[in-house]
Amino acid sequence: MAEVRPDEISAILRKQLSGYENEIDIYDVGTVLQVGDGIARVYGLSKVMSSELVEFPNDVFGMVLNLDEDSVGCVLFGDSTLVKEGDVVKRTKRVASMPVGEGMLGRVITPLGLPIDGKGAINTSKFSPIERKALGVVQRQPVKEPLQTGITAIDAMIPIGRGQRELIIGDRQTGKTAVAVDAIINQKYTHSEEAKGLGIKPVFCIYVAIGQKSSTVAQVVAKLHEHGAMDYTTVISAAASEPAPLQFIAPYSGATLGEYFRDSGRHALVIYDDLSKQAAAYRELSLLLKRPPGREAYPGDVFYLHSRLLERASKLNDELGGGSLTALPIIETQQGDVSAYIPTNVISITDGQIYLESSLFNAGVRPAINVGISVSRVGGNAQIKAMKKVAGSLKLDLAQYRELEAFAKFGSDLDKSTQRTLSRGARLVELLKQGQYVPKPIERQVVAVYLGTNGFLDEVPVHEIERFILEIIEYIEVNNNDIFESIKKEKQLSDSTAEKIKQTVKEFSGVFK
Amino acid sequence: MSELKVSIRYATSLLDTAIEKNITESVHQDIELIYSSLEASRDLQLMLANPIIKPHVKLAVLEEIFKDKINSESLNFLKFLVEKGRENLLESIAKKFLELRDEYFGIVNIKIISAIELDENQVSQLKNKFEKILQKKVRLNFTIDNSVLGGFVAEVNDTVFDASLKHQLDILKKQFLTNGVSLN
Repeated sequence: MAEVRPDEISAILRKQLSGYENEIDIYDVGTVLQVGDGIARVYGLSKVMSSELVEFPNDVFGMVLNLDEDSVGCVLFGDSTLVKEGDVVKRTKRVASMPVGEGMLGRVITPLGLPIDGKGAINTSKFSPIERKALGVVQRQPVKEPLQTGITAIDAMIPIGRGQRELIIGDRQTGKTAVAVDAIINQKYTHSEEAKGLGIKPVFCIYVAIGQKSSTVAQVVAKLHEHGAMDYTTVISAAASEPAPLQFIAPYSGATLGEYFRDSGRHALVIYDDLSKQAAAYRELSLLLKRPPGREAYPGDVFYLHSRLLERASKLNDELGGGSLTALPIIETQQGDVSAYIPTNVISITDGQIYLESSLFNAGVRPAINVGISVSRVGGNAQIKAMKKVAGSLKLDLAQYRELEAFAKFGSDLDKSTQRTLSRGARLVELLKQGQYVPKPIERQVVAVYLGTNGFLDEVPVHEIERFILEIIEYIEVNNNDIFESIKKEKQLSDSTAEKIKQTVKEFSGVFK
Repeated sequence: MSELKVSIRYATSLLDTAIEKNITESVHQDIELIYSSLEASRDLQLMLANPIIKPHVKLAVLEEIFKDKINSESLNFLKFLVEKGRENLLESIAKKFLELRDEYFGIVNIKIISAIELDENQVSQLKNKFEKILQKKVRLNFTIDNSVLGGFVAEVNDTVFDASLKHQLDILKKQFLTNGVSLN
C-alpha cells in the first residue's frame, strides 16, 4: 500500500474546513415528555409549524401533527426506541418535504426521498413540500388526452384520461396491482420516437406501495425492470414493516413527485397501492394521538385525508404548460363489500371506478373487470374517435348478455335472437380476456373490438377466439400493416380502413383452422 | 394538567394583589425564599403533600419557618392556601408566580451554560448583547458544565443560542461524515 503523506491529509482537512464558519448557531428546542408507539409528545417547540419536520437525537426525524395547548404531538419516521424521555428535539424550520427531479426516475425510494435500492445518492437540487394544496378551478382544464392502459376492457369501455382519478377496487387476489402495473408498462410506448412523431407526450410513472410486503414490492420492481419500464418510473415504498407515519405520508410523496412533472408541462401517472392500508395507518396514528375515533374507528378527517390527496390529480390549462397528473388509487375491499367506510369515500371522490371481482377471476375472466358496474365519468372525452366508434355497442351487448346469462342456465329452448345475444356475449367476454404484462397497443384493440362488435367472430368457436384474435392481428401486421398505421395516425376508423379490415377477415378466415 | 391550571390561578391572584398593594418587590423576595426552601427540603415538600397531616399542623409548621422572614401579605397567602387545601401545590404556584412576575415586568430569563465561570466583563457584555437582541430586560442565570468545552450556550425559553465548542465540533463531525473524505 502506498504510504499516505501527512500533507495529503492536511490538504483534505483544509479543503473540508474552508467552508466551515464559526458562528453562533440559533435553534429552537423542546423536550420529549413521552414517547412510544411511534408517537412523541414534546414540551416546548413553541414556534413550531404544523407538519414541520423536527429532529430527534440519533438522526430520528419526526413530523408535527398536533399542536396542543401545552405540548406538541409528533409522529416519528424512525425507530422510536432510539428516542428517550427528556431528549432534546430541534426544529428544522421546514415542513416535511422531499427532493424531486429527473434523478428519481428508475429508483426505489422511501417516502422522504431517500434511496433504498443501493444505487447510491440521488442527484436532485429541488425540494418540494409533501403536503401541498391542490390547484384551483382557474388553473385547470377538462381532461382531453387519453391515457392508454393497454387493457382492452378498460381502454374500450372505461377509458381513462390524463388528469383523471380512476379508482381500482376489488377484493384481495383479484389482480388490482396487475392492472396498475400493466398500465405502467404500457406507457413505454409514449416514450418512443414513434409516439413523439404522432404527438403523444411521454407519461412518467410513480408507483407508491403502501403497507405491502417488501417481497411484493421487489417483485413489481423486477417486473418493471424486465419490461424496460423502470426508465421512466419511480417506486416509492413504505413497506408493512415501516412505521405508520411513513405509510401515511407515502401517497403524498408520490403526488409531490408527480406534481413536479405536471408543473413542468409533462404528464405523470401515480398509482397508490393501496389507500385502504394508508387509511389504516392514519387511523393508528390518530388513535395514538388521542384524536376522537368515528365510524370504523377512523378519525373524522379520513375523508379529507383522501380527498386532498386525489384532488391533486389534475390537467393544467395551457398557460401553465398543459401538464397532467393522473391518479389510479387502489382500494382493497373485504368480501366485496363496497359500502364500507373507506371504499364509499374514495368512490365518491374519484371520477369513476374499475371493479374487479373474485368470482370473475376464478371463472377465468382476467382481468376480472366487472364492466357492468365499472364506470369512467370523464374519460369518454379523452377516448380516441376510432375506439369510441367501435366500442359503442360493446358495453350494451355485454350488459344484455349478462342479463340473459341467468336464463340460459336453465337450458330451455331459446329463441333465435336470444341465442344470438348469448353467443355474441360469450365471444365478447373471450375477446376482452388478456394476459398479464402484455398490454395491447390501441390500434390492435380497435381492430379486435371492431371484429367482435360487428359479428365477425360469431362463426368462430368460443374457445378459439383468443387464438383467432392473436393470429389475425399478426396476419394484419404482416400483410396489411397500413390498417394499423392509419388508425394510429388519423386516430379514427375511416370507412376505407373498415372495408380493408372486412376484406382481411375474409381472407384470414379462409386460412384459419 | 389541571394542577397546572390551578397553580396559574393562584399565582395570578397573588401577583394581582401584590401589584395592587404595590409590594411586588417584597412578595417576590418572599416567594423566591419559599421556592428555594421548598427545593432545598424534601421533608417540607413531603409534609405539605401528605394528606394525613392536619391542616392546622401544616400551617403551624409554615408559620414557624417563615414568620419572621416574610411579610404579612405572603404569610396570609400561605394561610389561604392551607385553608383551601391546595398547600400541596405550593411549589408549582411559587414557580408559576416567578414566571408570571417576570412576564409582567418584561424580564426574560436566560440560562447561560459555560465551561468555566465568566468574569464580570463577559457577563455585562452578554447581558448588553441579549438586551439588544431581545429588546427586553434580561436576567442571566449561570450554570457551569464542563461538557460544553468552551464558549457558552444560552437558553432563552425554547430558543438556544449555541456558541459552544462542543456544538462546533459536532457540526464539523457531521460535515466530515456527510461529505466523506477521499484521497482523490
